[in-house]
Amino acid sequence: MPSLGDWVNNPLSIVQGVFAQNGPNGEWERKVVEYFTEKLKENTATSWVPSLNDVPLHYLKPNSLVKFRCMLQDMFDPEFYMGVYETVDPATKSGVLRFGKYKDVAECGTQQEIHLNSAKSVTMERQTFYCIPVPGESSWVKEAYASACPARGNPSTSYTPSRHKRSYEEDEDMEMHPPKQKEQHRGSSGCSGSHGCGDSKRLETEAPDAHQLSPNCTASIDLNFPLPGEKGPACLVKVYENWDRFKVNDILEVYGILSVDPALGIINDESTKDGSSILDPAECMDTLEEQRVHSPPPSLVPRLHAIVTHKLQHINPFLPIRLQDKQSKDYISSFLPELSSVRAELLGFLTNALLGDSLAAEYLTLHFLSTIYSRRDVLPLGKFTLNLSGCPKNSNYTKHLHRFIQQLVPSSYCLPMTLENMNTMRFIPQKDYTANRLLAGVLQLPHSTSLMLDETAMEPGQLDTTGFQNMAALGNLIIWQKVDYDFSYHQMEFPCNINVLITSEDVSLLQSDCEVHLRPQVVPDNIEEYMTNLQTAVLPSILNKFRIYLSLLRLMDYSISEEVTKAVEEDFVEMRKNDPQSITAVDLHWLLVVARLVSLSAGQTTLSRDSWQQAKQLEGQRKARLGRLTPLNGNEP
Amino acid sequence: MPPKDYQNEREKCKRFLQEFYAPNDLGKKQFKYADQLVLIAHREQVALHIDLDDVAEEDPELVDSICENTRRYVSLFADAVQELLPEYKEREMVNKDALDVYIEHRLMMEQRNRDPNELRDPRNQYPPELLRRFEVYFKSPATMKPKVVRDVKADSIGKLVTVRGIVTRVTEVKPMMVVATYTCDQCGAETYQPIQSPTFMPLIMCPSRECQTNKSGGRLYLQSRGSKFIKFQEIKLQEHSDQVPIGNIPRSMSVFAQGENTRLAHPGDHVSITGIFLPMMKAGFRQVVQGLLAETYLEAHRVSQMNKSEDDELGSQELNEEELRQITEEDFYEKLAASIAPEIYGHEDVKKALLLLLVGGVDQSPKGMKIRGNINICLMGDPGVAKSQLLCYIDRLAPRSQYTTGRGSSGVGLTAAVMKDSVTGEMTLEGGALVLADQGVCCIDEFDKMMDSDRTAIHEVMEQQTISIAKAGIMTTLNARCSILSAANPAFGRYNPKKTVEQNIQLPAALLSRFDLLWLIQDKPDRDNDLRLAQHITYVHQHCKQPPSQFQPLEMKLMRRYIALCKQKQPMVPESLADYITAAYVEMRKESRNSKDTTFTSARTLLSILRIATALARLRLVDTVEKEDVNEAMRLMEMSKDSLVGDRGQGTRAQRPADIIFVTVREMMSDRTGRSVKYSEAEQRCVTKGFTPAQFEEALEEYEELNVWQVNQARSKITFV
Repeated sequence: MPSLGDWVNNPLSIVQGVFAQNGPNGEWERKVVEYFTEKLKENTATSWVPSLNDVPLHYLKPNSLVKFRCMLQDMFDPEFYMGVYETVDPATKSGVLRFGKYKDVAECGTQQEIHLNSAKSVTMERQTFYCIPVPGESSWVKEAYASACPARGNPSTSYTPSRHKRSYEEDEDMEMHPPKQKEQHRGSSGCSGSHGCGDSKRLETEAPDAHQLSPNCTASIDLNFPLPGEKGPACLVKVYENWDRFKVNDILEVYGILSVDPALGIINDESTKDGSSILDPAECMDTLEEQRVHSPPPSLVPRLHAIVTHKLQHINPFLPIRLQDKQSKDYISSFLPELSSVRAELLGFLTNALLGDSLAAEYLTLHFLSTIYSRRDVLPLGKFTLNLSGCPKNSNYTKHLHRFIQQLVPSSYCLPMTLENMNTMRFIPQKDYTANRLLAGVLQLPHSTSLMLDETAMEPGQLDTTGFQNMAALGNLIIWQKVDYDFSYHQMEFPCNINVLITSEDVSLLQSDCEVHLRPQVVPDNIEEYMTNLQTAVLPSILNKFRIYLSLLRLMDYSISEEVTKAVEEDFVEMRKNDPQSITAVDLHWLLVVARLVSLSAGQTTLSRDSWQQAKQLEGQRKARLGRLTPLNGNEP
Repeated sequence: MPPKDYQNEREKCKRFLQEFYAPNDLGKKQFKYADQLVLIAHREQVALHIDLDDVAEEDPELVDSICENTRRYVSLFADAVQELLPEYKEREMVNKDALDVYIEHRLMMEQRNRDPNELRDPRNQYPPELLRRFEVYFKSPATMKPKVVRDVKADSIGKLVTVRGIVTRVTEVKPMMVVATYTCDQCGAETYQPIQSPTFMPLIMCPSRECQTNKSGGRLYLQSRGSKFIKFQEIKLQEHSDQVPIGNIPRSMSVFAQGENTRLAHPGDHVSITGIFLPMMKAGFRQVVQGLLAETYLEAHRVSQMNKSEDDELGSQELNEEELRQITEEDFYEKLAASIAPEIYGHEDVKKALLLLLVGGVDQSPKGMKIRGNINICLMGDPGVAKSQLLCYIDRLAPRSQYTTGRGSSGVGLTAAVMKDSVTGEMTLEGGALVLADQGVCCIDEFDKMMDSDRTAIHEVMEQQTISIAKAGIMTTLNARCSILSAANPAFGRYNPKKTVEQNIQLPAALLSRFDLLWLIQDKPDRDNDLRLAQHITYVHQHCKQPPSQFQPLEMKLMRRYIALCKQKQPMVPESLADYITAAYVEMRKESRNSKDTTFTSARTLLSILRIATALARLRLVDTVEKEDVNEAMRLMEMSKDSLVGDRGQGTRAQRPADIIFVTVREMMSDRTGRSVKYSEAEQRCVTKGFTPAQFEEALEEYEELNVWQVNQARSKITFV
């Protein structure tokens, strides 16, 4: 590994340097942030920062700079900390000023004491976010990021392949053994202290400790991932600036200083041991659960002191991070010539996956490209919930289809709507006031996640109250693109932007924006073999093109010119004149959305008459196939 | 700034307590605090609430210093009270508890044994906290704005702040030690240790002179009987949902309530808490670990519950001049209606009806009979006419509402369910959507798809506004004073005008008649309309907002507050209108008999008119119903009926309004002998039929030109030629 600057290995020394230079007031904070922002702008600089996503925690050096790609799951209350404090040597009475920013534990020389009531200490505020890896992130995204980032705390040959393999196994028993998975994960992070890195001692002492406590811990430390079977490091990110910019469910990229001081976890142990102490109001104030959640052992949930944080528009590793830059504009324009060929190939690929149905493939492409581009009061514009009806049952077809989707989109989740799932899973995030945290639910997903609801898994039976609420939550999600989080005394509405795909045997139970009835042209004997062959047949480079295509186009701007608007209006009036039943206001809304996606899928950023006609044609074909005149539910908004 | 002279400040406090007075009802001076001091001196009152508004009258500067450095002034005031108390003591009083007796003994002992010249170790003296049996609290001045939890930042530390929020958790009330008393096992001397932090390090060695000089190494033992404890409770306060920016998690804050402030709040209460925002340093080992962190809490001084009505009042107070002017412009009725679901195009009358539903009529209860004031509306219509969106909008706009679908909710889900508690096995009642929407709106989508058995449950709610339960041994009546807004699809996919309403939506007449207004939202092709609709929709997609229209739609919050304000009015129908209304009703009955009306005109219709009329009066914020209100109510009724039969006229020949008005007036003529009709009567008749006065005017002129009739100069009579 090439020798890296101090700014990665020992960022605190840099902060110390800046602090010493500028003195305790004001300036130094801004300068620190500027310094690191500049450093990260350098060519390939970002790739030298090890990522918490791919490198196991025990390979990372404590107090080094790491990056973390994550979703903001919960926000804790702000903390007040001593931004600047003074340590005093009792012998000489000489004080030294130190900074507390980016640190968890006060530093103190051997012979020194912290001077608590010093007039020079400055109290500052910071915000803690509980962050988890992006839910439903596809394995190709993880791999691409991992391979693009050669920085490892301690290079290990056995690491990458084993991960790769596991990700496949994981898919299989994802639904079956979530608790077991978690335990495995815990085990793997707990007993790996033997690797010879700098802080192995710490881990060795920690590991047995964790095992002793395990009957207690396994029950208590739940990393709070929305989707079952997920794994990866959760992290408490401490944000120092502009935390108002961030919202729950945002995807963030954090560059910060890793802090795994074992002292942080000891609070936890201590409180479990003498939890019975009688006269300690400090104890009764925070319940045990709350302490467990808010200060979990750092070996499981490290702390990350963010220096540079930004929101991510997408998590596709093949695209430039920000699409507004000059550089990225060049990138986009270089991709545009290929666009039509990529589109054709993608359509072919999807057509095969959809058993030879090209219309369904067309609609599925549009579905992938859709995003909520705006909201008007309650009305989300641009939602595109697709109901793929006529899926073969009993052949695991939907499961394979999901695997296909996983190959294409950066994050996705397949939810089999079995009665058991509906009745037992928590869909809506819920505030737990005893532990003072937001319990994640399946529907707490970041923007642009593909959620596939597999209705073929449903069988007749009884839905209980939870099941019914879950159904209602799905309905709300589909129609209004919002999830009402449960704060027990009231509900709070969180807008979301999730692409919902429903696969069903016949018309779905849930409302959808459009139904496409699958008309298989080929009926393979062995669906599994057929699908696997399809997947292996496509070249990785082509697959990457597909991925770029889908992620890039959904982020493009789009507008409708005045002229085309006029034409559309005329067209609508004309259609109404000929057959008033053929098109309603809702249909027009829908047609405009389809036309938007049709244009975008061809790389056009404005609506043209051709695209409008094309959209109409597509709709016509779809409706003809449904063979019904009246809409299905009869009560679409 | 020179350091404050706290001795001086204390004198100020003292003077204030002694001298502050307010004139009472009889015009005499009432010494507000001095009176309380008497009570405190006799141990009849514990908490002394000092209203900073009172302090402001005497000394505004003092208020500022109190707000800035509250902790200090609490002790200053406490010292002042302590000094004053003996002066206010009017009689000897009996000891109330063990600590009283204990203190009395100690004081007596001291007087007896103490050598006045001897200087005692301060720690062996009685600390003031031990002897103090009262609590001093501040009430924030009215000028101080309550803060949002998220705005209480580090700069508020040490200051008096008021926050509002919802209580999410309270701990049990526990005793907290304020003064620890120890006795020495060697010399018997007592040692006191005032405690200010949540944790303390107990004293071990006896500090008395006797032990010190003898080096006897006396050990101290804690005397719980002689220590002073106060009640202590911790409250978690979470900010209100409307104070949270979109996409953020509500923040919370710890509040420590002591003494008299405990047990005032329960989880789920909306409270406003005034207190001192203080940091709490962790002690001992925790401090080393968390060295850099300071936790904060609010030391409660005043905990007050905010009930719903207070909340509403606050809302209306904030409705300032500017906003009121914005609302009560000329065409405020149209404007308010247009502000409902502005992204949905057209349907002005439906929106007006929905607005009235939100405002609601006045409940009447003559002689024990209850007549509901809530307006029920049923929207029918072809698929894809944005019914559900209207429902959803109302659901969001109404301060209290429930949204459910007919298909999704069984009778139990709508009314109430008897549940068996899994732990205790007791039967409990759990309210359904209609009960939960009490005093609000219950939106039921897909009303037609409801099971028949479920629908019957609604009958009672819609007229009696209660739900009777007789299940599993539980018999009770629950209130369900809600307006019902339902949406239904025609039975055969599309509305068939050739069939009756009942056939079309397959709802029994008994249920239909309970709806005050039935709207059929039909999707009729019409070039101009279509074009405007298309423009509206494309504009929304193009610019992500609705096109500029006649009215700038009002904000939802403003609407909500205005509606809350309207609801406070209880307009009456004046005697003088009774005749008019009866006449109109008789007319409507007659008409419905004559024409093959698809709807019922029954006594319920009359009630509906009254309800809508009172709602209209409320909307204008007046106390009496006027004729225009009744006219508008009848117009809405007529329009809703017209919407049901709408298509029929179109098939044959579209009658111009002028023609119909002519026919109407001619009919009036034939009713009576003579050749003239009163202008005002004719106008009223036409208005009740759903025409505007302008249309009436036009028709008059048109036929006057044709020389069919003449209008006299005073415009009071129409005479046929």
